[in-house]
Amino acid sequence: MYAQAFFVAIFGLAAIGFGVWVFRTSSMVRSALALLFSQTAVGCMFLAMQTEFLGVLQIMMMATEMSIMAIFMVMFMMDPGGLGGMDMTHQKRFSIGAGVIAGGVAIAVALLADWGPVTPQAPDAAMQTRELGMELLGRSMLIFETAGITILTAMIAATAVAIPVQTLANGGDKEDSE
Amino acid sequence: MNVVIVLLALLGSVWLLAVVEGWTTTGRLSLSAPLLSGLAHLGRESIVPRTPDRLFFEAAPILFLIVAVLGVTVLPLAPTLVIADLATGALFINAALAYVLVALIMAGWGPNGAYAMIGGWRFLGQLIAYAMLIVMPITAVAMRAESLVTTVIVASQESLWNIVYQPLGFVLFFIAAMALAFRAPFDLPIAEGELGGGVDAEYTGVRRAVLRLARLTLVVTLAAATVVFYLGGWHGPLLPPWAWSLIKTLAVAVSMLLVGRYLPRIREADLMRWCWTLGIPLALVNIIIVGLLVLVVS
Repeated sequence: MYAQAFFVAIFGLAAIGFGVWVFRTSSMVRSALALLFSQTAVGCMFLAMQTEFLGVLQIMMMATEMSIMAIFMVMFMMDPGGLGGMDMTHQKRFSIGAGVIAGGVAIAVALLADWGPVTPQAPDAAMQTRELGMELLGRSMLIFETAGITILTAMIAATAVAIPVQTLANGGDKEDSE
Repeated sequence: MNVVIVLLALLGSVWLLAVVEGWTTTGRLSLSAPLLSGLAHLGRESIVPRTPDRLFFEAAPILFLIVAVLGVTVLPLAPTLVIADLATGALFINAALAYVLVALIMAGWGPNGAYAMIGGWRFLGQLIAYAMLIVMPITAVAMRAESLVTTVIVASQESLWNIVYQPLGFVLFFIAAMALAFRAPFDLPIAEGELGGGVDAEYTGVRRAVLRLARLTLVVTLAAATVVFYLGGWHGPLLPPWAWSLIKTLAVAVSMLLVGRYLPRIREADLMRWCWTLGIPLALVNIIIVGLLVLVVS
């Protein structure tokens, strides 16, 4: 029990530490990978809390997602290497205020919410995986399928918006229309 | 004890693979060549390029080696000879090997070299091509075994190996595994002819030795995964289970090297197109066929 709490705390602190690093560096790639390792630490917290499937899934998903985010950050920022001393932050007063309020609310919820009785013994990992699968393909199927379709629609819409419109205004000469 | 045995088996397999690799490239069969080559790497100056991202540059080879070894921890050599028989073993190996991408991006970005950086980002594009072809065939394997536990997956193949039960899945997984291990014809991140070594280009000395070791370890890890998922794992007549696992793993690893020798390097756009327009539909067909078979058989 104490060992579990210790590791949850260690990985939690690591997640916060990497999260802070995201904004302390000027390099886009460092920033993206710091966010990746912050999320990996959250995955390790899941593992320490004996939710094996969620932990492994989180660790797997974040590696690819954050790497893809890194390449987008490199593509769209004017100083991806951070060699020009670019500042990662903006709207400082507003973001500090928003951060303090959001953090306070999160801590208040954590302390004041009624979390119910503590589970004395978590089911073993294989049973958890099975029960999660049953939940996803049973009662919660509609919610997850709806979420999946929504995300897919958003991806297609975002791609469609991002593709430059090719007008045929110049007598159909595509090269001139860009 | 299992840890020591599995790691020794891994090290031995990597050494044998390096011998075979040397044999196919130089034509000389020398058992001491990998050792001498490793010592030569250690003896060379380990140059740090100008204005690198030092943290990434140093961390990338080590991270690469760690994740390649982590992948092996869930792969059984025999029914009880496995380091961690996790309930999510088949997922865990994906999670571990996803960080090969992170290591290569770090190795590409870190040295502050154009070729290396292109190599690193190329591998990200390669991942978008092969990732689904790793995960979807494994899904079909887990469907038959009704479990993500790797020992249960091997046990489910006692009467019929998955290479026979789901040959389409095997072909897709084998190709995707080669792309993950960036062996020729999928060696886009290093591409000797066009990128002059790519992510390897700026690494010398001991760091290069670690990179090479990690890459061979990755090939062995993926070969072992192929054996566990498709070639019946430890099952086989006469010989002890661990021997069958090792023989099959080496055979798959060598076949990966051989296939690469006779095929030209693929273009990244072609890889992406074929994986998404042909590979993923075929992987879905494989899942449907296996699903029907599981329903009919059970």
